[in-house]
Amino acid sequence: MLKKSLMGAVAMTLALAAAPALADTSGKRIALSNNYAGNSWRQAMLKSWEKVTGQAVSEGVVAEAPAFTTAENQVTEQAAQIQNLILQGYDAIVINAASPDALNGAVKQACDAGIVVVSFDGIVTEPCAWRIAVDFKQMGAVQVDYLAGRMAEGGNLLEIRGLAGVFVDDEISAGIHSGVEKHPQFKIVGSVHGDWAQDVAQKAVAGILPSLPEVQAVVTQGGDGYGAAQAFKAAGRPTPLIIMGNRHDELTWWKEQKDANGYETMSVSIAPGVSTLAFWVAQMILDGKEVPKDLTVPFLQINQDNLEESLANTEPGGVANVEYSLADAEAVVAGE
Amino acid sequence: MGAISKLAARPWIWSYLGLLVVWLATVTFTGGKGGAEILSAALSFGTFTVIVGLGQMFVITTGPGNVDLSIPATIALSGSLAMKVMGGADAMLLVGLVVSLLCGVAVGGFNYALIRLLRIPPIIATLSSSFLVLSTAIAYGRGLKIKPPPMLADFTTARVFDIPVLALVVAGLAVAMSVLLNRTIYGRSVLAIGQNMRAAWLAGIPVERIRFLTYLLSAVLASLCGFVLAGFSGGASLNMGEEYLLASIAVVVIGGTSVAGGRANVPGIWGAALFMFLLVTMLNTFGASAGVRLIMTGLIIVAVITIAGGDKPQR
Repeated sequence: MLKKSLMGAVAMTLALAAAPALADTSGKRIALSNNYAGNSWRQAMLKSWEKVTGQAVSEGVVAEAPAFTTAENQVTEQAAQIQNLILQGYDAIVINAASPDALNGAVKQACDAGIVVVSFDGIVTEPCAWRIAVDFKQMGAVQVDYLAGRMAEGGNLLEIRGLAGVFVDDEISAGIHSGVEKHPQFKIVGSVHGDWAQDVAQKAVAGILPSLPEVQAVVTQGGDGYGAAQAFKAAGRPTPLIIMGNRHDELTWWKEQKDANGYETMSVSIAPGVSTLAFWVAQMILDGKEVPKDLTVPFLQINQDNLEESLANTEPGGVANVEYSLADAEAVVAGE
Repeated sequence: MGAISKLAARPWIWSYLGLLVVWLATVTFTGGKGGAEILSAALSFGTFTVIVGLGQMFVITTGPGNVDLSIPATIALSGSLAMKVMGGADAMLLVGLVVSLLCGVAVGGFNYALIRLLRIPPIIATLSSSFLVLSTAIAYGRGLKIKPPPMLADFTTARVFDIPVLALVVAGLAVAMSVLLNRTIYGRSVLAIGQNMRAAWLAGIPVERIRFLTYLLSAVLASLCGFVLAGFSGGASLNMGEEYLLASIAVVVIGGTSVAGGRANVPGIWGAALFMFLLVTMLNTFGASAGVRLIMTGLIIVAVITIAGGDKPQR
């Protein structure tokens, strides 16, 4: 009996001694709690997560990193899901949240259970969690800045917004409006909600277009550019400068126009691979590294000269993407 | 009885009055500019709502509790399946259409199997089947946004004298559905079942067969909608059907079909579909914020239903 436990102790010591050869997080389990999977961006996000974490698991960086998606995109459902993840004893939970504040209760429970919570894209406001936020305001503002560079004389803008009531929509729109204040030669003559979906945007734009004066440019939130282009075409109007949002259909259309008549625009969005950035941040925290609570995700901007390259790397139906490595994540944490 | 009061007794008249008022308000606001274009846009987008609305109308008419919530998922699955099968080739157009319609037959059959064999209430059955259908679409549809065959794209966006050709075709479909509803044994049976299922059964109507056909019809029309919608908007996407869940029910109800069943109305569906599009256009033109828009849409729908209310069974 004594011998047995002694041997056990020896084995344990050996195991402990062997541990430093691997990363300190090799026994850690990180879960992704995701609220929605029904569009191409989210599909790409989950794929990137699978790819990067799959490799991290096989290399022994972490023990496992499964992704869980709720079926109904509802706060109650995601809160219950987080509670399940707490009970299952994950070391870290990475969240793309259905609501910035309604999940705070569940997030607090996770923190109290000693779990590292990292939210990204759809962030949570609970102070104990880390936030990898997108500067959506800036994403709106850069569009108008770009237009100011292209059209010194200004002109009429049509704004296509996202899904009403979602904070991302409010932020991007606020950014666009602040951009218009900065460049008063532009005027927003119409505003519709395109729900980040090509067909919804097409419908909304087709509806409002007949009542609008000539539109020089369309500011967008991504996913809606191609629909806008089609609505202008159907109405027999000249194609304005439409800012794109990195979707494959938008880039394809841009490429066709560029080849046909030298059409020039820019495209900006967030790479779905930001989920992998969140994964590495969670891993770094578990590793005991010092990570500030608020981080900002870099944009993925596509310009006239790197359009072909970006399009080639984007799969049909998808969105332009980059996956992050640990080194990339370290750079973001260092604020570079 | 004067012509006006006769007209006012028609349940569909209110949706047309509504669309006239909304259109006039919009055109007044723009100073008479773009009135025709707005109507033309309403016709081309209203078409899709009409297609699914017709199917939903038959389902709702079979009586309380009958509703098809799997329409959005069916649209997405049928659209993506068809686009993938056709792969942008004109030669595959017919194959794509057949695949799309078969997808509707499968979903409709499955819905009914859940309702009949497992005795699940239609709302739950069609909602849960819609999860399965959408998951299939997600699993199958990686690499979406395949361009539709040029012939399909041209057909769905073609216009004659500024009237979308598709709208004319769907107007024909609506007439056919009206005949189906009012002049065939099937349609009469649907109305009878909706008024009193037990009485219909006692009268010798094959109630379950009729319900089966009704869910099948609804799913097939949703598939057809997915097919043409994908052609119209340059490819299928996973969330392309999302807005048709509420819209399909709303146009049925606003169009004068009784939610309690047993009383259906085909012309009203067209009126309601155009009304819904023009309503959003009007509020967009006024520059109303999304919140105001949603509240107004809700209030106006309630108002139209209240005014158009009154429950006289159709014989």
